[in-house]
Amino acid sequence: MDIRQEQLQAGLARFLGAKWRPGTTVMDLVHIPGGASRETWRFMAAAGDESLGMVVRIDPETSLIDTDRRTEYRAIEAAYHSGLPAPEPLYLEQDVQWLGRPFSITAEIPGCQSSPDAFPSQHRQAIGEQKWTWLGKLAALDPKTLHLDDVMPAATVETCASEQLAYWAKVIVDDELHPNPIAHAAIRWLKRNLPPPAQKLSLVHGDYRTGNFLYSPAGKIEAILDWEMAHIGDPLEDLAWSMDPLWCWKEPQRAGLLLPHAEAIRIWEQASGLRVDKHAFRWWQVFAAVKGIGIWISSSEEFETSANKKPILAIAGWLMTDREQRILADYLSPHSAHRFVRP
Amino acid sequence: MIPKGSGGIAHIAGRIVQDLMPRAGDVYMATDLIYLSLLLGMVAEDYDRATDVLVTEERELVAILGKASAHMKDEGLRKRIAAALEKKPASLRVSDLTARSDTLLRLLIEVHEAVETNDAAWARELDGEIWRFLEKHASLRAYEVPV
Repeated sequence: MDIRQEQLQAGLARFLGAKWRPGTTVMDLVHIPGGASRETWRFMAAAGDESLGMVVRIDPETSLIDTDRRTEYRAIEAAYHSGLPAPEPLYLEQDVQWLGRPFSITAEIPGCQSSPDAFPSQHRQAIGEQKWTWLGKLAALDPKTLHLDDVMPAATVETCASEQLAYWAKVIVDDELHPNPIAHAAIRWLKRNLPPPAQKLSLVHGDYRTGNFLYSPAGKIEAILDWEMAHIGDPLEDLAWSMDPLWCWKEPQRAGLLLPHAEAIRIWEQASGLRVDKHAFRWWQVFAAVKGIGIWISSSEEFETSANKKPILAIAGWLMTDREQRILADYLSPHSAHRFVRP
Repeated sequence: MIPKGSGGIAHIAGRIVQDLMPRAGDVYMATDLIYLSLLLGMVAEDYDRATDVLVTEERELVAILGKASAHMKDEGLRKRIAAALEKKPASLRVSDLTARSDTLLRLLIEVHEAVETNDAAWARELDGEIWRFLEKHASLRAYEVPV
């Protein structure tokens, strides 16, 4: 065990001893790979005869996505209490006395994985059906009943698309290390072709994709993860992001490497009670690729200019920007062969 | 001089996966090593092709901007295009070619914005030409990464 682990173990034991059970011990601390926005560790907390698997997400000194941990935590709470599969939220701690940085703790969901490479082939259909059913159920929730007004900016059905566009266009302009003519052409296209008002406002997960949910070996989705970009907006935003070709690069005809695109949309429509307007959905598809470029460009900028040299930042910044540019050229070029599915 | 630099980098990437990764202390370290190996694979691709991509694109951008310049209503843009076209890359170093590419791509963004909503025949033709360039621009930078 290295010094970082020892300090973390001691800090968690002190915190849980004060907040959960006196005399808590912390064991089996494991650093979970992959996350670029937060430092994530899995561990077992034990006190007397009681033990509970937990996951702690610690604010980084720098982050790929600059978000408020409170927004993420409250979104998980809202989802969990609405009956969606989400990890049970346990603690949100802003005080740096415990771990040196703010953090949140949720219950661990054991025995699951998130990797799309490990999808059991016999469960792909079932996982896909659950994935878009849960997204439809999230879309159907009334955001007013979730009481998120204090952590998420108010949105309207008329302006949520232009506001999201303005946000991510600014990220691209502010963070690009080199000019991105395809991204700029796409931003202009989006400004010229704004979609009709959203059918309703929903809690938008913001990063709902293959890789961001946990599934059991039996093919059951047990938890939706990574709510850090959650906001109130058009539910089509999540649907388009979930079907971005980036998440099914090896099999573009199979959304999220799970289902044919038309089937994913049909399941989502059934679960949400909403209809997919083709014009609006196309706008959100192009937006999804622009937002992706915004995230990946930020990640490149972070890798280049900050002390954070996590290789995941560079991988995201180089490889994902390359692919998202090809997606946008495919969507928008008048000469495109349209390799990627459009509804 | 390392004439086979891309092969050398790819060899290092392979050694990381074959020799170091199995000795990683935990899953986090093993994953980091895989990422580093992937990154090196991408650096190897760029090492081999960067000059070719940047020189080829410089030629194409100069042609597009030269054709566009006379049609631009914005006098300031015309002048900036003219000034850029008078210059050459400072050298064939990738850093100099990249700086040149950045200058020309910024001008291309402005030109594209000016032509894409114009229905004149010259503008439609130029818009098509810019999109052909952009498609190629994206494909020339594509990485062959097995993920």
